[in-house]
Amino acid sequence: MTFIIPIGPQHPALEEPTHFRIEVKGEEIVGVDLRLGYVHRGIEKALTERPYAHGFYLSQRVCGICNATHSLAFTRAVESVAGVECPDRARYIRVIDAELERIHSHLLWAGIAAHEIGFTTLFMLLWRDREHALDMRELLFGNRIYATGTYLGGARVDIEQKHIPQLTRALAELEKSTKHYIDVCTSDRTIIARCTGVGVLTKKDARELCAVGPTARASGVDFDIRRDDPYAAYDEILFDVVTERDGDVLAKVVVRLREILESIEIIRQAIDAMPKGPIRAKFPENVPENEAVGRVEAPRGELMYYVRSNGTNKPERVRIRTPSYANWPSVRPMLVGGTIAEIPIVVASIDPCFSCTDRVTIVDAKTGKSRIETKEELRRLRK
Amino acid sequence: MIETLGYIFAYFVFPGILFASAVGLLFMGIDRKITGHMQHRIGPPIWQEFLDVGKLFCKEDVTPAAANSFVFNFVPLLSFGALIAVVLFLPINSAQPVLTSVADLIVIIYLLNIPAVCMMLAGYASGCPFGTTGSSRYVVQLFGYELAFIIAALAVVAKAGWSLSLSSIVTYQAQNGWMAFQVALIPAAIAILIAAQGKLLRVPFDIPEAESEIVHGPLTEYSGPKLAILRIAYDIELFVATAVIVVLFFGGPVPHTIGGVYIPGVVGFLIKCFGIVVLSTLIRNIAARLRIDQALKFFWTFPTLLAAISLFLVMVV
Repeated sequence: MTFIIPIGPQHPALEEPTHFRIEVKGEEIVGVDLRLGYVHRGIEKALTERPYAHGFYLSQRVCGICNATHSLAFTRAVESVAGVECPDRARYIRVIDAELERIHSHLLWAGIAAHEIGFTTLFMLLWRDREHALDMRELLFGNRIYATGTYLGGARVDIEQKHIPQLTRALAELEKSTKHYIDVCTSDRTIIARCTGVGVLTKKDARELCAVGPTARASGVDFDIRRDDPYAAYDEILFDVVTERDGDVLAKVVVRLREILESIEIIRQAIDAMPKGPIRAKFPENVPENEAVGRVEAPRGELMYYVRSNGTNKPERVRIRTPSYANWPSVRPMLVGGTIAEIPIVVASIDPCFSCTDRVTIVDAKTGKSRIETKEELRRLRK
Repeated sequence: MIETLGYIFAYFVFPGILFASAVGLLFMGIDRKITGHMQHRIGPPIWQEFLDVGKLFCKEDVTPAAANSFVFNFVPLLSFGALIAVVLFLPINSAQPVLTSVADLIVIIYLLNIPAVCMMLAGYASGCPFGTTGSSRYVVQLFGYELAFIIAALAVVAKAGWSLSLSSIVTYQAQNGWMAFQVALIPAAIAILIAAQGKLLRVPFDIPEAESEIVHGPLTEYSGPKLAILRIAYDIELFVATAVIVVLFFGGPVPHTIGGVYIPGVVGFLIKCFGIVVLSTLIRNIAARLRIDQALKFFWTFPTLLAAISLFLVMVV
């Protein structure tokens, strides 16, 4: 006999509201159904009703953790629509901004993963060290979380020379502690018992279900926008794309922690290679009719913005494809066949970000069934 | 008359409800404080547990309609009562406990399992999938740790000349030194410490109430005064489980005279219990939670094997 275990909308393992219907047989999972839509905010529509300069700030609010990459992706798309070239110094500032964000996002995720497997001490210590990255964001860009170095046509703020020593010190601290955590995660027997062979995503599945970011890289898919479609100053910086072969939760932990080490190296190179000069080019008020796609590697994977302009100061259409949205289909093969105890850590292993993913789900209140509205029905509604 | 009053005092004050609750809540508070420091936090004050329980008593008692049954409502009191009964059977101040029977240890092992059985019933009666899952996990875990616990206790019984009376075990240790320091019984001591970690549902064995998986397991639907009683019962269980280990392996209550001042046995007893609580706190802060199948496999191999080795050594050598 199977019965349904509801996970969410409110559940201690979930940071944000979403609803999983997990079909279980005893402890074994036999089916997974996902219902999104609890935190849909209509940002894509809101972006088309604002001038580009205001939309830039709204794009940061899509996600509370990766706001710098969201603004960077929006800027990248809008800049190619408008044909604006970003000055050299600003490109390096963008790299430092994005990589600091990657460090704090990955440490935040590692802490949550530790919490999901009941390792509260590791959770607390990881978040203690995440503070170094947050402090640096505050020092350089003015705020711990909702701040970015990017601006339309360049950088929002310049990185001052007097802040560099502090940044270098924080990076050294982060490097030391990250190495320690890699050591802990690959040697602690309880962590290994909970994470190896759990939630395996094969390379084939990862390719077929279009997984992105660390989720795909942990399955051996060697793909990183920073290297394959370089933006900002990534084409002038040397770094490795970290991959693991196993595809289980431990591989996802190790990929993310090793990416932190790469990010630290990237920031160090960016500090050394940063040229002097202006940080911002003029951005026109009205943008000619055009369309473009801006892709960046967010901490969770490939983030894509599509922007179509119509000659006014507002975009006609903006489409956001967040990495979590691309990763949802891969949760099913990871969960089915596992046990209830694995649900939190497996769901957490793709580092889901619900509010940036959410789309409207239409649910019939009487029957509880969700359905899909066709394009014609929506047209009729509009009239 | 005097005897009756003595029993009433023993039941309500020392070493019964008042004493056991105070010690249990205090141990839990210290446990939370140490946890805080290990996790690089300040942690709550050590009397936080008293405040929490007091707050729960003042709260409204909400019982979901699906859970409203005799079993669900009665379980907290039954579990609390069973643990107080264990306290009365334990030699806490002197070698002589308040209550004795022919085979103390068997009675205690039975009584110590009543809270666990209560929790299972509560989970199944709560009409909630988290409670049901928690209970089924608890059943599995009970079979895991109980085997190691009983074999380890049996090794001590064999060493003390097959005496099931706790006072004679304490007397034996007063003459021959602690059981934990007998070479043959060292494996059993390690085994019972691990089994106690499972009995107390502490990391890595907090599987039946794993908060990130099944909310709070069997306790999910409890609130207000009932939850408060269950919390006190859990804290007393923390004290009682460590106390049983102290009685069996660490000499039980021993009175001392330091500089002409007589120190009753209960002081040393509580210090030893505290030591075990701290050890358990350390373990629970340096590990991740296991899965239930891994836990069962672990319990039936490592601790059970250690306990069996001890029993074998005691009986044969």
